[in-house]
Amino acid sequence: MIKFYTILIFILCSKTVFTQTLNGPRIQAMGNAGVAIQDIWTLKNNAAGITSLENITFALAYENRFSVKELSTKSAAIAIPLKKYTLGASFQSYGSPVYQELKSGLSFAKSFGENFSTALTLNYHQLSIQNYGNTNTFSFQVGFQYQIFKNFWIAAHAANPNKSQYTETESNTLPALYQIGASYTFSDKLLLTSEVEQVLNGKLDFKTGLEYKIAPFLALRGGTSVNTFQQFGGFGILYQKINLDFAISSHPVLGYSPQIAVGYAF
Amino acid sequence: MGVKAQQSNDPIIEYILEVIAENQSEDFDYTELVERLNFYRRNPLNLNKASRDELQELVFLNPLQISNLLDHIAVNGKLIDVLELQSIDGFDLQTIRTLLNFSNINSPTGFENFSWANLRKEGRSDLIVRYGRILEEQAGFNIPEESGRSRYLGTPDRVFTRYRFNYLNNLQFSLNMDKDAGEQFWTTQNRTLGPDFVSASLYVKDVSRFKKIVLGDFSLQFGQGLTLWSGLSFGKGADLFSIAKQDLGLRPYTSINEFSFFRGFATQINFGKFDFTPFISFRRLDAGSSLNAATNLSEITSLQISGLHRTPNELANKNRIGQLVLGGNLQYNHRKLSVGLTAYQSNYSENFAPGNAVYNQFEFTGRKLTNLGANYSYTVNNIYLFGELAHSVNSGIAFINGAIASLTPQISALVFHRNYQKDYYSYFNQGISEGSLAFNERGFFGGLQFKSGKKYEFNVYTDLFKFPWLRFRVDAPSVGHELFSQFTYTPKRTTKFILRYRIEEKQQNISGANTAINTLETVRRQNYRFEIQYALNKSFSLRNRAEVTQFKRESTQNNYGLLLYQDVLYNPLSSKLSGNARIAYFNTEGFDTRIYAYENDVLYGFSIPGFQNKGFRFYLNGRYTLKRGIDFWLKYSFTHYTDLETIGSGLDQIDGNLRSEIRAQIRYQF
Repeated sequence: MIKFYTILIFILCSKTVFTQTLNGPRIQAMGNAGVAIQDIWTLKNNAAGITSLENITFALAYENRFSVKELSTKSAAIAIPLKKYTLGASFQSYGSPVYQELKSGLSFAKSFGENFSTALTLNYHQLSIQNYGNTNTFSFQVGFQYQIFKNFWIAAHAANPNKSQYTETESNTLPALYQIGASYTFSDKLLLTSEVEQVLNGKLDFKTGLEYKIAPFLALRGGTSVNTFQQFGGFGILYQKINLDFAISSHPVLGYSPQIAVGYAF
Repeated sequence: MGVKAQQSNDPIIEYILEVIAENQSEDFDYTELVERLNFYRRNPLNLNKASRDELQELVFLNPLQISNLLDHIAVNGKLIDVLELQSIDGFDLQTIRTLLNFSNINSPTGFENFSWANLRKEGRSDLIVRYGRILEEQAGFNIPEESGRSRYLGTPDRVFTRYRFNYLNNLQFSLNMDKDAGEQFWTTQNRTLGPDFVSASLYVKDVSRFKKIVLGDFSLQFGQGLTLWSGLSFGKGADLFSIAKQDLGLRPYTSINEFSFFRGFATQINFGKFDFTPFISFRRLDAGSSLNAATNLSEITSLQISGLHRTPNELANKNRIGQLVLGGNLQYNHRKLSVGLTAYQSNYSENFAPGNAVYNQFEFTGRKLTNLGANYSYTVNNIYLFGELAHSVNSGIAFINGAIASLTPQISALVFHRNYQKDYYSYFNQGISEGSLAFNERGFFGGLQFKSGKKYEFNVYTDLFKFPWLRFRVDAPSVGHELFSQFTYTPKRTTKFILRYRIEEKQQNISGANTAINTLETVRRQNYRFEIQYALNKSFSLRNRAEVTQFKRESTQNNYGLLLYQDVLYNPLSSKLSGNARIAYFNTEGFDTRIYAYENDVLYGFSIPGFQNKGFRFYLNGRYTLKRGIDFWLKYSFTHYTDLETIGSGLDQIDGNLRSEIRAQIRYQF
């Protein structure tokens, strides 16, 4: 029965499955509106956000999409700040041995002064389907963040603008995504973020979220996306150099997707 | 100031009311609220002695502000100067200004100076008589008795009489008498004499341990309204803070809604940190009933809440069943914590018949229902937590938990989660819900309010809801969501711009499908509103609105509705005459795209008409003070439809395309 549902869900959302990247629970809890955020997990969607990291940082995340084991994603990310730029690497595995997608990325991010940073990411994608075969391809991402005035950032990001694809059949095209967004930090406690995302030849989405530091070590988060309508929530705990983040998203039809991550900053 | 305030439709109260009423799409009766605010306008509340529920009666204060004020007084002692209010978290200048219209820090409370001589000297009487009538003849008034068809037995006149006696803050006698259009005034049928609806109450406050005593008609509001809430309550709307309910406990019932109240005796007794409110009520309700073939007993098929008794059929259902309610509430208040327990039983003189459709098969049957509930609120730093758990004995539960947080001085948030089971019943249930009652629903609500100084305000919320069981015209479990946003820009005190957008998607049976089994489709409704208010000079101000609705089923094209109006308001500072007028144009493609708009009315009169079809509406509403203590109101309105030859249907039908109405009201204060 579980298999049947797995396949059903897989068919239902195969379109969206392709567009899923695991953004890390902090960004996911804020409605996935992460384009103008500074965080290790921006490696996935606008790596310009890693230039604010001062120390080597790594993180591991796990997501169970719609609470179905076969639709889980595992991911690892590391950012290494060097003198003039920041290097990042990420790895992501989605699916089960029956159907598996792997994505490995290398990012190069550089800031120009305090207010402007930009990044380029190169990804290697692998797809394997049991009894069917393997295929692979490359894609790239590019983005920037700009601080217009204190604590107010705007950002833009493009993923796979050259529309690379696994094979020549159209249905295997990797999505081309464009995002623009902004974030603002009110006092030390409250962060608000929003973004508009357009999938090329696909849907337009508006996402927004907030993070509220209820105590120096505890942050609460919430967010919404409009198309499709989803609500997000989560929290983060900072203990010395260790970050523990949890997020859950609620899809009106498909249900809940929990996500957890642990991070360490040296 | 006191005299001045008595004479007019107080602009401050009108403003508060408009903000609230604008967000409700149904025709609520706000009499009780206006009366309450008018009362405090004349008899200011003493902030140093006010309790939480008294402060909650001032609807414009949010729970965090109330909590902070009470805490400030508990920690620092009595307020010595009103300027102190500025030092309390969450009190901006605008709130303080509004608050000081209804309160101060040293007005007398309690029967401190009571004597019978004072009662006569200080007591104030207030008598209002209102007459209203639709000028065109409606079909129901023109059917001969011999025809045997359903018809309106009474005259098309509506007569409403209202009397109040107040002694300071402590004693209030209320009497309301109402005869609706079509009802008979004097009839021996059903053993009723005089006006169709009579409601009276005697309310006494602060007699030693007895904080409140009500004899007659009363209302009860506890917690978040899942277990026990009667009378006025607000739904989701532009003002984020009025969504979480602020319970007022026991109140005299002074509204003219004929359904949602209790009749009997209730009191609130104070034991230090505990307040105990026992109550008992017996009244008769209107109901449709039918004979159960198996038991040969009469059963209730529906409760009728309109309070209209115009036709022989409506009269036959009048007061058909008896309802006995008894129970109590125990509330514990200590500083920032408040916990309440409610238990009551309602008994009916007949059984409720089981639902005969799949969607209502979990509804209540039987004649006796016991409800239990527990509610709490707690303030920690800048976060106000609230919730309620309710249980109907031998059936389901319902609960809600949420928080209001002031995240920064400019930004506040409201979140709550609710879960109401499909077999949770309460006949006094007004919990926050997307459906009309709080059952068969789960949902999560999140909203934000930005307030930057006095100039900018932005409200936004999203609500996701699920209905685990079928509903009327929804033959499967369904889901839906709503997004609301409103931006308000107030560059000057007298100028205001409002932009509003709202979208709601829900599932319904596919309309017009010819299949054996209904399947669902998504229905999307969107609203766009733009409004400007500005003052021409000290006496005249203008208000314009444009509103568009857009309605779409998956299977059909977009339908549109449009409403445009122009208001002129004349409110000179010191004149015997004031008034307002509106001309509106509407053009909507039917019922699904109808648009509601709040209208000014005579004092204590309310109208929020829904516009559909195509045409114009006009009204002129004025007040004239004959002499001190005697005021006169007149409202004339008409709606002219350009695409109709008859208006309305059934007994309400009017031949022709014009529907006009007149209301006249006189008030005598002595």
